[in-house]
Amino acid sequence: MQANWTYLVIALCIVLALGFVWQEYRRANKRYVWLRMLAVLIAIASLACITLPIAYHDSVTKSDEHKSILLTDGFDVDSIKSTDTNLVTTEAAIKKAYPKAKLINGLDELNKTDKLHIYGYGLRADELAQLNSLPFVFHHAKAPSGINNVNWNGHLKAGEALQVQGTYNNPSAQKVKLILSGLNTGLDSVMLPPNAQTEFDLSTIPKTTGKVVFNLRADTALQGSIPVQISPVKPLKVLMLSASPDFESKFLKNWLTENGYSVVLRSVISKGKFNIEYINIAQFSLDKLSTQTLNKFDLVIGDLSVLNGLTPAGSGALKQAVADNGLGIIVRADSMTKRSWLQTQFLVNRPEGKEPEPALLIINGKKSAGKLVYGPAHIVYQNGTQPLIKTAQEKVLASSAIFGSGKVVFTTLNNTFSWMLSGNKQDYMMLWSILINKAARKDDTNESQIEFISPPYKGEPSQLKVAQGKAAPITINNKIIASIQNPNVPFEYSAQYWPKAAGWQILQGKNGYAFANNDWRPVQAANKLSATEKYAKSHEISGIVTKQIQQKVRIDVPKIYFYILLLAACTFLWVATKFS
Amino acid sequence: MAKQGGIYKIQGLRQRWIIYQVLEDMLYSLYAALYLGALVYYLWSTNLVYGLITFPIVFAILLSINRPWQMTDEKIAAFLNKEYPELQESSQLLLLPVDELNPLQVIASSKTASVLTDLKISHKPFAKRLITAFFFLIIATGLIWGLGKIFHIERVFFGPNRPVAVCAPGTMDMAEKVLPQISSVEITVTPPAYTGNAKRVQDKFNLSAEEGGAVSWIIKTNIAVKKITIQFIKNGEIALQSNKKHTEWHASTQINKPGFYQVSIDGKLSDYYYIQMVKDVAPVIHIKSPKQYTYIDAGEAQKVTINATLNDDYGIAASTIIATVAKGRGEGVKFKEYMLSFAEVFDAHKPKYDLQKLINLPTLDMQPGDELYFYVQAQDTHKQLSRTDVYIVSIQDTAELLSMNGVLSGVNVKPEFFRSERQIIIDAGQLLKDKDSISVEKFNARSNDLGIDQKLLRLRYGKFLGEEGEDAIGAPNNDPANPADFSNAAKILKEYTDDHDNAEDAGFFEPNIKAQLKATLTEMWKAELQLRLYKPQAALPFAYKALRLLKDLQQKSRSYVAKTAYNPAPLKPGKRLSGELDKIIQPINKQEIKAPADQLEVLKNAVNVLEGLKSNPALKQADNRTLRIANQELSVRASAQPGVYLSALNAMRRILLVPKANLADVNTVERALQKALRALKAMPSSQGTSADMGLSKQYYKNLQQANR
Repeated sequence: MQANWTYLVIALCIVLALGFVWQEYRRANKRYVWLRMLAVLIAIASLACITLPIAYHDSVTKSDEHKSILLTDGFDVDSIKSTDTNLVTTEAAIKKAYPKAKLINGLDELNKTDKLHIYGYGLRADELAQLNSLPFVFHHAKAPSGINNVNWNGHLKAGEALQVQGTYNNPSAQKVKLILSGLNTGLDSVMLPPNAQTEFDLSTIPKTTGKVVFNLRADTALQGSIPVQISPVKPLKVLMLSASPDFESKFLKNWLTENGYSVVLRSVISKGKFNIEYINIAQFSLDKLSTQTLNKFDLVIGDLSVLNGLTPAGSGALKQAVADNGLGIIVRADSMTKRSWLQTQFLVNRPEGKEPEPALLIINGKKSAGKLVYGPAHIVYQNGTQPLIKTAQEKVLASSAIFGSGKVVFTTLNNTFSWMLSGNKQDYMMLWSILINKAARKDDTNESQIEFISPPYKGEPSQLKVAQGKAAPITINNKIIASIQNPNVPFEYSAQYWPKAAGWQILQGKNGYAFANNDWRPVQAANKLSATEKYAKSHEISGIVTKQIQQKVRIDVPKIYFYILLLAACTFLWVATKFS
Repeated sequence: MAKQGGIYKIQGLRQRWIIYQVLEDMLYSLYAALYLGALVYYLWSTNLVYGLITFPIVFAILLSINRPWQMTDEKIAAFLNKEYPELQESSQLLLLPVDELNPLQVIASSKTASVLTDLKISHKPFAKRLITAFFFLIIATGLIWGLGKIFHIERVFFGPNRPVAVCAPGTMDMAEKVLPQISSVEITVTPPAYTGNAKRVQDKFNLSAEEGGAVSWIIKTNIAVKKITIQFIKNGEIALQSNKKHTEWHASTQINKPGFYQVSIDGKLSDYYYIQMVKDVAPVIHIKSPKQYTYIDAGEAQKVTINATLNDDYGIAASTIIATVAKGRGEGVKFKEYMLSFAEVFDAHKPKYDLQKLINLPTLDMQPGDELYFYVQAQDTHKQLSRTDVYIVSIQDTAELLSMNGVLSGVNVKPEFFRSERQIIIDAGQLLKDKDSISVEKFNARSNDLGIDQKLLRLRYGKFLGEEGEDAIGAPNNDPANPADFSNAAKILKEYTDDHDNAEDAGFFEPNIKAQLKATLTEMWKAELQLRLYKPQAALPFAYKALRLLKDLQQKSRSYVAKTAYNPAPLKPGKRLSGELDKIIQPINKQEIKAPADQLEVLKNAVNVLEGLKSNPALKQADNRTLRIANQELSVRASAQPGVYLSALNAMRRILLVPKANLADVNTVERALQKALRALKAMPSSQGTSADMGLSKQYYKNLQQANR
């Protein structure tokens, strides 16, 4: 029947073709006659092709190996061929969305002899470890949309700014507004352009101390929580040695003490006579400086002439306290007559000529709001020092250097109080905060430090790294967990921890935060992608030769081509009639 | 009769047409007024008067264009003929007088009339345009409403600078939550008498009253309740009285403080409701003239006009000028006080008065050299008093100016050539006195002579400034040339150039002295002008001023240092310059300065508790206390700014009452706390070390030793 049908159609078409060609031949208007005949023939041929099934034979290669496909979050349905079988997944949500996949309980159920293909974002590092170096082919998904990288300073001192930085992948055509909010109030926001991966940087100064959870939202969708601990500032103990009762020392003393800092100010009023002020500290003898006395303080602020004029015993004690015990020292350069160990790193240049005009200072990279008369003297930069305060002309006015376990900060500024007098408290506070922060003795009351190798999520294992001075069991939420001590670094321990609930946890007497599973989803996906890619690279498939089979198949030619031909031929005929 | 009816019907149709036309015009003008009014309202001012003006104008224009009254009965008839064939084209016949009709027409017209009376004429053709206009109006109203409500057009154009009354979000109008027992409430606010406002009744618990106003509540309940009290935060409570059925309760009180209250029914507390108090402001007095310090020169009219504007929020009851005249100088100064009143009567208690008072200084017994101090005070209907600063009016003391004290030994004046400024003033005064007794010509001549004297004086002083004399320029030199001067360039130049600004001539004066000297010359110019115009009276003020400036100049060149006595303490020469300091004690100062207690500490603690509540909504005992203290702090803030903190206060109360906190409430309170807290100060602190058993410290120590 099929064959008959074919012949019938061919015969009919030949008759039609002959008839039409004869008609064309007899046509009075001979314009385009050959073209018209050709068009008629094409039209009839394509008509025949539409009616008849046209196909050709070809050979395709097929690999017949056994493969199993693991679907993970983020896989694209279109990337899976309909011929693929043996689809498995460990996630119930994927099973629900794609019923063809078989749900397995764990990665150990995977067939180890089959070749494994993984689609989607891949697996977490701990899951990859379960594969026992089983190589696989990774078909990774596109980078997830949203924040795929984020970081912030989770431990703040009061008054410090919280800074949240990261990258946002926005594949949509709309702009996205990223909002940092805390205490249910939007604090900072940024507009992210469409179709781009953008870096963002949001910041705010928290208004409270303690544990606070900030949020990051893209438009209204919650991206994740930002747990932050803000600790109050611990007042320091400062010893000030002044060559004369000057305003600079007086204003500095007033500012520090009114904020609860302990200050002892000794200023020379005559030869061998001092005016001593003890504020917020018990009185003791200051006739000669000893190591015991100096160890009471976190910081010494002194005029260079006073420090150089110390007795040899006092000078030695000071040097020892700085080098061995980590005492900080801020030297205010007032004279350059004598050279001492304090000046070795700092060479002061005092060019002759006019005193420079008052100018804005650059304090640790930030421009001050008010101008200051900074005098002609400046420090010549030397290797091993870190400039802290500069002028716009890159003249260094304050610099710091390491001296043993302590720090020496050297400054040529001696009239910063004029900022305070003119009401510019902000710049004054910024300048002295930088200098004191840099110099102050480091706080070594910190007994242990906890670091997460990867951010902890509820119900997922996370690696902890604990550094602690004394050997003590590691407790989390008051439960002891097993830990391994690093054989080479005796104070370093590592442990694994599964948070049971999201929220604040007590880690070794400190606070840590476990994220909920839906926090930072794109970040998690990005982490999985990179971990899985890394694994796939280090466990490349080798030595497995794929056997290929040549197979002949019949391939149907799509009818659409013939329809187009027919249409084109008929259009030509019609147009030719119109023109002739 | 039937025919009559026909005419009436046609006339009725005409009436109907006219009415519809007028109505349509009215709708269109309403439409225009609405659009224009809305545009003005949203974009320019909140005043609705533009819309109100537009309506009649557009209405008049449309009427004058359309002229609906020009519609004639004939046209109506023609229309009827066209629309209704059953009238057989004869409706015009009805309009013709009966006696003009021929018999055939009579028959036709009577037939038409009967048909017409039965005919039901549709309103549709008449009202078609009216309906379109109506639709336009509805759409316009919707659009304008939508522009304001949905698209917030005013925010697009104005941003936040719009007056508060227009743009402020309705925080104060938040929906009140009322206890379920209350079926209705009637609050009567009786403003105090001084405001002159009528009493008002409202059905909302949130209320605002004038200071000292009386408020009475009438609360009706749907069931009988035992007790209703109104609890004022920090101001006690009042119990309401009830009727016999215990369903209608009433109480009243006087409002002297803003704040909040709660209604308590049988111990169950309602939400907080605010009481806003409108304070009476003391009257504001603005004196437009005279200036704070007025100096009346000799020769000027000794009069002062006080121009003042008084403003008050309710009404002004009285206003007076308190004036004090100071006579004499030094030890012999005498004061005399006057109470002057304005001509205005303050019976009307208007909120604004523009007042004027002319004070003739001689009537206050003031003479040259005396000073008048005055201030204006006003009292409003609430007996609040306010007063202005003291204003000073002083009259120049001519006697002192003319005195020769200190001048006699000054410059050696040549009286035969120059009259001094003082002499010119005295002569001008004499001339004025003699005015009645001498002829006009003589008066004018003497005035002119004085002008010449004034000119000479001016030229003399001008020399000090390096100005050239009148004889210097352009005066022909008729002297025969000295042959020795032939081709003497200096001499020729001197002849034809100005040599003002010559340092030799100018004298070495300081710039400000020069400036004053110039000012003196200017006054002399003016005086001279008046004298030459035969107006010595007008010249006097300038002359006086010139004299005063000259006197000042003279005083400037003198200085006086008083002799003082000083007895130094006797010195012990043996003790001096020995350099011994051993007996000098070192000063030691010991202080404890506490950092100021942080008032916001309680709120910061509350934040920590609330953060904890987010993960674990059950409130612990200790946390409950923390929140209670924070609640007190919050209520203090809420009484200052109810719009900001009231909702947070309510949410906090719910958190404290229920065992499990609601997340929405926690969020509301946190938002308010974020608003209340201030940014923390950044203070220096020490950096932490890593817990490394002192490894890094050792490293740095050894590094230092290695570098040695």
